[in-house]
Amino acid sequence: MLRLLSSIYKEFLVLIRDRAGLAILFLMPLVLILIMTLIQDATFKTVKDANISMILVNNDRDSLGEAIREGLIESKFFEIVEELDGKKITEEMAKEAVAQGKYKIGIIIPERATEAIRGNVNALINKSFKTFDVPGVKKRTKKSTIDIIIYIDPATSYSFKNSVMSSLKEFTSQLEIKMFFKNFSLALADMFPDQKAVEFESFETIKYKEIYASTTNSEILPNSVQHNVPAWTMFAMFFIVLPLAGNIIKERDEGSAFRLKTMPGSYVTVMFSKILIFLVVSFLQFLLMLMVGLYVLPAMGLPQLEIGPHKIALALLAISSGLAATGLGVAIGTIATTHEQSSTFGAVLIIIFAALGGIWVPIYVMPHTMRIFSQFSPLNWGLSGFYDIFLRNGDILTVLPEIVKLLLFFAVMLMIAIGYNKLHRTK
Amino acid sequence: MHENQPIIEIKHLTKIYRGSNKPAIDNISLDIQPGEIYGLLGPNGAGKTTTISILCGLFNPTSGNVFIDGKDYTHSAESIKSIIGVVPQDIALYPSLTAKENLTFFGHLYGLKGKYLRSRINECLELFGLEKNANRKIKTYSGGMKRRINLIAGILHKPKIIFLDEPTVGVDVQSRNVILEHLRNINKEGTTIIYTSHYMEEAENFCTRVAIIDQGNIITEGKPKDLINSKKEYTDLESIFLQLTGKALRDE
Repeated sequence: MLRLLSSIYKEFLVLIRDRAGLAILFLMPLVLILIMTLIQDATFKTVKDANISMILVNNDRDSLGEAIREGLIESKFFEIVEELDGKKITEEMAKEAVAQGKYKIGIIIPERATEAIRGNVNALINKSFKTFDVPGVKKRTKKSTIDIIIYIDPATSYSFKNSVMSSLKEFTSQLEIKMFFKNFSLALADMFPDQKAVEFESFETIKYKEIYASTTNSEILPNSVQHNVPAWTMFAMFFIVLPLAGNIIKERDEGSAFRLKTMPGSYVTVMFSKILIFLVVSFLQFLLMLMVGLYVLPAMGLPQLEIGPHKIALALLAISSGLAATGLGVAIGTIATTHEQSSTFGAVLIIIFAALGGIWVPIYVMPHTMRIFSQFSPLNWGLSGFYDIFLRNGDILTVLPEIVKLLLFFAVMLMIAIGYNKLHRTK
Repeated sequence: MHENQPIIEIKHLTKIYRGSNKPAIDNISLDIQPGEIYGLLGPNGAGKTTTISILCGLFNPTSGNVFIDGKDYTHSAESIKSIIGVVPQDIALYPSLTAKENLTFFGHLYGLKGKYLRSRINECLELFGLEKNANRKIKTYSGGMKRRINLIAGILHKPKIIFLDEPTVGVDVQSRNVILEHLRNINKEGTTIIYTSHYMEEAENFCTRVAIIDQGNIITEGKPKDLINSKKEYTDLESIFLQLTGKALRDE
């Protein structure tokens, strides 16, 4: 017991005196998670609710122009710019400003657009009620089209352009319908004077409601925070392979390992204390990342991490992931002969595991064959366990397969290390 | 030859490293009596470190046996390890830990503890003139200081047998004298010392018996004085050494 405690204390001292190593262990994942979440959230925001300045040239100055203008302002997607240097923007100015890349988008609503719509509506009403003479509605049957011109910065991304276009289409078609019914009801009111004119405020019978499929009632949406926090936590936890393997190799290079091997009962004790210390480190990393998700990201205007109700399952999953990572570290540290070998191999291996495991590219967008391979990444086991707990309210039983896989991985890695050591004795 | 039971018996020891066809040591047999200071001498690559590594239980020989205090590593590795002390050629300590922290850790591994361990550490540090630097990190030590603290780590638990692999390499005269003097004192208290070196003059004065090894074989073995007197042309150990191992440079 004294041996173990002393070994743990020794590992603790070695760890805390390596300032650079400590910084890498705790700052790197922190920076990584912040950058990754902000980057992905920014892409997400580009099409959602980031303020993008847009030029609006409203030559119509009637209902349609006003409605589009109000709709755009209300949507909060865009910041509407109508004046430049105190002057009303003309179509020419708008085109130039967008061409120069000053604004991403410019919308020109042509003159008499509202009149044209009214004309079209009236034409339709006249057509429908040919037999009646509707007073106040001009006799017209000719239809005219309205061209709303949109200038787009060529550097704009395709998805951004598409989302702007679809938002615009939605406004205009709603407006058209609204106008049609307004005039239609006015016409009807004229025909049947005892009937009161009906106001058509909105005409949205069919609406879409998005609900993410979940076995329970909870509806936590997998936003950038829900993906990135567990993903990069797994990544960071597995990156302790590098300092751990480095620690083992350093001990061997410095000769202390040689001395330890000539001392009673020490190899297992020393390895055990290393695993324990690095397990604690990985758990602290996990807690740190959790705190970032719970408190730091919301403070930066990102959504808060939802961790679900099963905290014990979460802790067990984190510990199993930590053990899998330390096991890998021990195996690499034992087999690699130099620092360079272990850091290059270790880093590349973890990056491959991360790529396969869906840390960068979610598994459901991977091609089928790659999805099969992703089953072999321990990072994938951990990540899907976290998804189960965070998104699907999973409990210990739900994540048991993942925990078992991670623990088995740990056991296999230890056996490889021990086996290699035995082999080395008979070199 | 002594009559009593040798503390170390080496019987037909052969070690061929994997991937090599030449044995590093070839059918070596040796008996070392309790209380001796035994020198394993030889040029670079002769097989000294291989022999000592097998004696310390670091790896298994290809064939042959080693008995330490009547026990062998296959059956009683743990009990052998608790009675031997090893002073490796490299400084086998944690550079970022202080002398005291290093010694406390290794002391604990040997099962020493509490007050006894603390006073033993202080005693050893004083003996080797390191008490003032007890709380300095090893990486700030000079070469000679590192050698001395490396030695202390191997003798802290008062082992029955001490293995020293080139303990005086790269050490100034003062440090070397301190080291040898204390080893002699330890030996007088009954500790057997096995040591490797290629400083012939040092070995001649220090060792009670020596074996000269070359290319994995023992060329000659005995008390330094007996060896020097065995032939007319021998004047000291160095002359024997050069005569027996030749003057060609040794790299491997």
